[in-house]
Amino acid sequence: MLLGSLGLSTLLERDRFVQGEMNDHLGLADLPHRTPKIKRIIYLFQSGGPAQMDLYDYKPALRDRFGEEVPKSIYPDDRKTTMSSAQASFPVAPTAFKFSQYGEAGSWISELLPNIGSLADDLCIIRSMHTDAINHDPAITFQQTGSQVPGRPSIGSWVDYGLGSEAADLPAFVAMSSKGSAKQGQPLYDRLWGSGFLPSKHQGVKFRNQGAPVLDIDNPAGISRGLRRTMLDSLNTLNGLKHQQTGDPEIQTRIAQYELAFRMQMSVPDLLDFSDEPKHVLDLYGPDVKTQGKYAFNCLIARRLAEQGVRFIQLFHQGWDQHNNIPGQMPRQCRDTDQPTAALIKDLKQRGMLDETLIIWGGEFGRTIYSQGKLTPNNYGRDHHPSCFTMWMAGGGIKGGTNHGSTDDYSVNVATDGVSVHDLHATILHLLGIDHERFVYRFQGRDFRLTDVHGDVVHSILS
Amino acid sequence: MIVNDGLLQAEAVDFNRDVRPILSDHCFDCHGPDQAAVAADLRLDLEDSAMNVIEPGNAEASELVHRILSKDPDSQMPPPNSRRQLTETERNTLVKWIREGAEFAQHWSLVPPQHSAVPEVDADQWSRDPLDRFVLNRLRERGLSPAPRASAESLVRRITLDLTGLPPTAAEIDAFLKDDLDVAIEKLVNRLMQSYRYGEHMALPWLEAARYADTDGYQNDRYRYQHVWRDWVIEAYNQHMPYDQFVIEQLAGDLLPNATLRQQVATGFGRNHRINSEDGSIPEEWRTEYVADRVDTFGTIFLGLTVSCARCHDHKYDPITQREYYQLYAYFNNIAEWGVGPNNGNSPPFITVPKSWPNLSPSEDRMVTPAPVKLRRARAEAGNGLQRPQAGDPSTVMVMHELTEPRPTHVLQRGQYNMPDLSQPVTASIPESLASSTPGISPRDRLELARWLFHPNHPLTARVAVNRLWQQFFGAGLVETSDNLGSQGALPLHPELLDYLALEFTHSKWDIQAIQRRIIHSATYQQDSQVTANSLEIDPSNRLLSRGPRYRLPGFIVRDQAMLLSGLLVEQVGGPSTKPYMPPKIWSAISNNKYKQDKGGNLYRRSVYTYWRRTIPPPMMMNFNAAAREVCTVQTESTNTPLQALTLMNNKTFIECARFFAERILQNDGQSAPSMITHAFREATGRWPTEKESAVIINAHGRFLEHFSKAPQAAKQLLATGENQRDKSLPLVEHAAMTMTASLILNLDETISKE
Repeated sequence: MLLGSLGLSTLLERDRFVQGEMNDHLGLADLPHRTPKIKRIIYLFQSGGPAQMDLYDYKPALRDRFGEEVPKSIYPDDRKTTMSSAQASFPVAPTAFKFSQYGEAGSWISELLPNIGSLADDLCIIRSMHTDAINHDPAITFQQTGSQVPGRPSIGSWVDYGLGSEAADLPAFVAMSSKGSAKQGQPLYDRLWGSGFLPSKHQGVKFRNQGAPVLDIDNPAGISRGLRRTMLDSLNTLNGLKHQQTGDPEIQTRIAQYELAFRMQMSVPDLLDFSDEPKHVLDLYGPDVKTQGKYAFNCLIARRLAEQGVRFIQLFHQGWDQHNNIPGQMPRQCRDTDQPTAALIKDLKQRGMLDETLIIWGGEFGRTIYSQGKLTPNNYGRDHHPSCFTMWMAGGGIKGGTNHGSTDDYSVNVATDGVSVHDLHATILHLLGIDHERFVYRFQGRDFRLTDVHGDVVHSILS
Repeated sequence: MIVNDGLLQAEAVDFNRDVRPILSDHCFDCHGPDQAAVAADLRLDLEDSAMNVIEPGNAEASELVHRILSKDPDSQMPPPNSRRQLTETERNTLVKWIREGAEFAQHWSLVPPQHSAVPEVDADQWSRDPLDRFVLNRLRERGLSPAPRASAESLVRRITLDLTGLPPTAAEIDAFLKDDLDVAIEKLVNRLMQSYRYGEHMALPWLEAARYADTDGYQNDRYRYQHVWRDWVIEAYNQHMPYDQFVIEQLAGDLLPNATLRQQVATGFGRNHRINSEDGSIPEEWRTEYVADRVDTFGTIFLGLTVSCARCHDHKYDPITQREYYQLYAYFNNIAEWGVGPNNGNSPPFITVPKSWPNLSPSEDRMVTPAPVKLRRARAEAGNGLQRPQAGDPSTVMVMHELTEPRPTHVLQRGQYNMPDLSQPVTASIPESLASSTPGISPRDRLELARWLFHPNHPLTARVAVNRLWQQFFGAGLVETSDNLGSQGALPLHPELLDYLALEFTHSKWDIQAIQRRIIHSATYQQDSQVTANSLEIDPSNRLLSRGPRYRLPGFIVRDQAMLLSGLLVEQVGGPSTKPYMPPKIWSAISNNKYKQDKGGNLYRRSVYTYWRRTIPPPMMMNFNAAAREVCTVQTESTNTPLQALTLMNNKTFIECARFFAERILQNDGQSAPSMITHAFREATGRWPTEKESAVIINAHGRFLEHFSKAPQAAKQLLATGENQRDKSLPLVEHAAMTMTASLILNLDETISKE
């Protein structure tokens, strides 16, 4: 993983800028295409596929249809995954949870999400998301790269490539992960924050969820910062002498990169040191905030990264792949995430940063209304479901208190105002001031886009 | 009409060099090979069609010229909303080309390599090989002269790194310096090419190109066992197998008459693609991806063309139709495989490798028929409809094997598995644009396809291969885009040299080592890599070859070199992949598997053997720009980042190497510290330090000593990094200080660079 954008202040980059190539710090010369609404993105990725009808897509009428077969006209067999397609029966499993209306918009939200619910007037809830993929790997790869087949750059690396960084000693794109306490999650892959065919310096830097966040950032035991400085001074002198001998400009770059590494050895651990956070802020994020590897911890790190000018911050929270026992797992999964998510929004708001930040919440697909496995009054599971799911956005450029799109009576198909993954990407880029159709990278002689040849900006949700 | 003649170059316009790139980049999208996208029935890639808008010799009468100069939004070309606007220079080039007669030519790489006379260069005291005269000629044209020959010390290190991926030892350098330089190089090359290290090193770029890995690559990223194929590659290089045999056995060893088991193992090449085992998957969807991956890999690695662009529609720039894509697809679509993996091991078809591998008896070395796919339902009682095939255990290797009853192939609309165009059944055949160079040849199966690549008139195979060989020694190919020699690829700066080498390669009966020797013995390769102000100005990226190559070593070599210098390197050729140090919880932090680090010798095996998990590849290697092994990669970048600095300064591997490098230095009994340190510097860089350099290091060492004498506890901690126990007879403080000094040397730009 390359701390690409960290190289931004180096001589080499400046040389490239002079040569008209590009400057990491500023991104591409012709970007943004228009005045951006936001400076940064915090993408709270809910990995596994949260069940939309248990959280946001309220279908009260289904309570009376408990156990009835989902009509084939609504849910044809050929769109079921092979994990449940051979079930003898596809019984309706209404949600086990209560919903209530929140905010002036009267948005229906599950009882499991009271904190997020309390911010309903800041959210634009999109209940009409749909995707092309029915399995985790292609679906999450599609969400991250605009293509189901691995190989394309992730959305964060596109943004890094296009807009560069505002952070001096930190990468422009940071990815973090956390595990839910309810169940083992689906695996994540380094390519989800990879740069694909973009130069590798635009790769997201994965902050590790235990120990030092960046690999090898700490000096080994026995080497103090002072000793490291001594060693670096000699190294720089020797590399400088070598530069005099050979004239290779790469050597100057290397000297600069070692110095940057030395500075990072301070700046990165500082991020994890919450001693400067007042108690009321820590309390806002809840009891897990001080535990590395927890979602709450990552939410606070996200805010701290945002303050440092990091452009694209993505959290991956595992554990939403609830094929069985949703009544048992869902409350725990929500307990892990509801308060910290709301805290992040409130914290940004109280610092005046929400208006310049886009927050995105959502996973790779939704879940089936029919029960996977046996349906009982107290238990049900749900299989993967691509045809509709819920995501929400909040922050700069977003019309708060909006409920966008709807699904049919069974939460199986989009009824109105469908939003595809490409549309979502186009909209995100739009908020950054980027026209997704003009934002291309040439690879092997062809111009590629994040949105391939698709995508329409969803203007109606924008303020 | 006003054409600014003043801006026109004096030199005659060359279609392939000057005109095609403009047309390809700005016009082919709507007026190129993609039939479905052609506008106004005009194709500018075809001479006949283009002549409808061109009057050769008469720019003013040419509609094309009117259009590109027009300011009227309705007739202007490219249209005003296009991102592909022409520059003034480009417009002028097109006008000049038409004035000069608008001569068309086929894209250069689709014409068989042309024999051209080696240039006669006046007063040439420099050339050592005919290839040098091509280079010298071009240098003189640009007002440059070649750099002087590199020092003997530089050359022995450069050649040893290039042929084995490890630096020469002090003793090897001494022996080299004793001989006359030309003799010494000859002897060195002979010795290194006989070393098993040669094959281990040569295999690396091939493994990246062949997307070799130890896991399946999707979702849970299950383990596979394909190392026997990797060892076949190493062995093939060490046996100096000619390139044609190397390729034919990998593409179609299973179809050779009286095929051996080795030849069958070679076909693992076609099975190195990712395989999806995720529950819920639709098998045919993924099988389609595997076949497409084989086609794309074939296109990149052998043809140097972006064949994959024609999967969903006709190629936009190169003459490959969508139908032709599926004709190539048909060669690879007949494997006895299943689209979803077994979820724990090799996917059929696979064979059991005899325990005696690689020392097979004659009776063992015969191709065996793999068991057909046997499907089973998992968790059927739970309503799970997915069928999975049987799994191959660690004693097996995946191979190619044809179905007896061929699968029908159709054009897939938009490349989708479930959208076959039933009106377009296709049979295996090669694209027309390539077939025209090899008349009378129409390969019917994979074996014939593989043999067709080595037709003496084949326009691409030799060029693509020698270009990659060149890239291995110079850091960049003669065609910079070694993955694309098509219309949108870079143009070779030395096209005659590329063709010359391609023809030499063909005539040598595809002798890889013969071409490598020619390169190594050339004056071009043996230049000093010092960058002068003049060469930096005129030739900043050394594309004209005005100096020797100098660049940062790949991560594999950086690690292997550190282990060699420390004496920790354990050399053992082949076998299951090894699991050296990785950061704690490298796998379990984000996936559901645990990395079980090896103990003992396997911690110190060469990096070519390091376990490659596709979804979480070894971070150290990725930091240093290794290919991810997801898909065929023949070209990687070379970055210079702070994470590389952090790795070299702090990573356990490199600290442990520094500890043991220090032990080796300190065990040089009877020497003073300064003498020990200058020897260590020489081991790492291949040369003695200058007085100034010595002074800096010796001074640093003094400060390290001072530091640790005040902090013996810190010395103890530092010396506990890594699993190998230190030699306790060495004084603690001296050992720790020398470890820092060794680490300093391992971090030098020169140590991690080839120059």
